[in-house]
Amino acid sequence: MSAPDASVESRFEGMTDRQLLREEQAIARRFLGRVPWEMVAWGIGNFLVWLSLWPLVLTGVLPLWLGFVLSTICCALAYLPSHEAQHSIIAAEGEKLRWLNQLVGHVSTIPLVFPYGIAWITHRMHHAYANDPERDPDIGSQGGSWWQGAYNSLRERQPMNDGMYAKTLRESDDPNRDRAFVEGLVLKLVHFGTLTVFAWSGYAIEAALLWWLPRHIGFMYLITFLSWAPHHPMMETGRYRDTRAWQSPVGTVLSLWMEFHIVHHLYPKIPLLDTPKAWRALEPILIARGIRDDRGVAWAGEDVSKPVEEAA
Amino acid sequence: MKLMQGIRFLGEWGAVLFGVGFLAPLIAQSMDALEVPAPFGLSTIAFGLIVGPTAGLVAKLRGSWV
Repeated sequence: MSAPDASVESRFEGMTDRQLLREEQAIARRFLGRVPWEMVAWGIGNFLVWLSLWPLVLTGVLPLWLGFVLSTICCALAYLPSHEAQHSIIAAEGEKLRWLNQLVGHVSTIPLVFPYGIAWITHRMHHAYANDPERDPDIGSQGGSWWQGAYNSLRERQPMNDGMYAKTLRESDDPNRDRAFVEGLVLKLVHFGTLTVFAWSGYAIEAALLWWLPRHIGFMYLITFLSWAPHHPMMETGRYRDTRAWQSPVGTVLSLWMEFHIVHHLYPKIPLLDTPKAWRALEPILIARGIRDDRGVAWAGEDVSKPVEEAA
Repeated sequence: MKLMQGIRFLGEWGAVLFGVGFLAPLIAQSMDALEVPAPFGLSTIAFGLIVGPTAGLVAKLRGSWV
């Protein structure tokens, strides 16, 4: 993510809020409407690769250590295709490819044991109330540094914890909530049942290194880049302030394109891999709109919520 | 109603069930793989069945594994 060019902002000077919004929407519209086939392939392909690791490792074709590494990568890659489906980017309700949208949504998050229905409900609430301590289900990943955020999120995800996800689901009036509960229960039972059957059949270490541990590591990676980094320090709310422009120390791909997450929060139907070019087109107007621009600020280990004089 | 009771039971006792169902054999097989004998003349699976559910019970009482 490159530094902003202040000179191009001048053309927005003197424009009213409404004019700016209209201009912003006109630019954003150029990136809407495409079926992201790469995310379909990513979601289904990643799931199939993860599934194939089981027979490959159990028959000795693949060493367990390599299976563990690949499974961890698969888990880290498992969420984003479902995320596209949660926003109906592949196909909206009533469209011909809706079944594919739902298939990708359901299948891609299986390695994470994160049911599509629950992700759907909670993610909508995250968009509606990002950074609101009472209503954002992802507020549990708040922390002064990335590792505190990941740890806080791990505590939040404890199955016996009545955390923000449980609260959000309890208070949700989504008509699909009960179905999402059942889906969640079935997925949890399949996960637990698989681990138990493999463990008592003499494959406990294989089950731990192919699903249990990769899932936790994958979740921590996802929380760091999808939740903590783009929203840190999770203190501000509002369309242009709840997500920031930031520069990843590990680059765009390893941070799963989340440097451009601000584009997603403003225009959730822009496909993930189009957010970098959408950002480049929108950057001047978004700077003029007063977005949080944290590029150049250390992303980890430093609480950027502190005023400069206090931090010094 | 029965479904809700089942969900509640799993939520409340899930950590202990996880200790019995997964942690116990994982502990035993890890000890076997590392050739670490169980204390007090126990078999590794007996040791796992003590440690796994106990860890689950502690997690249940603390409300967290970590």
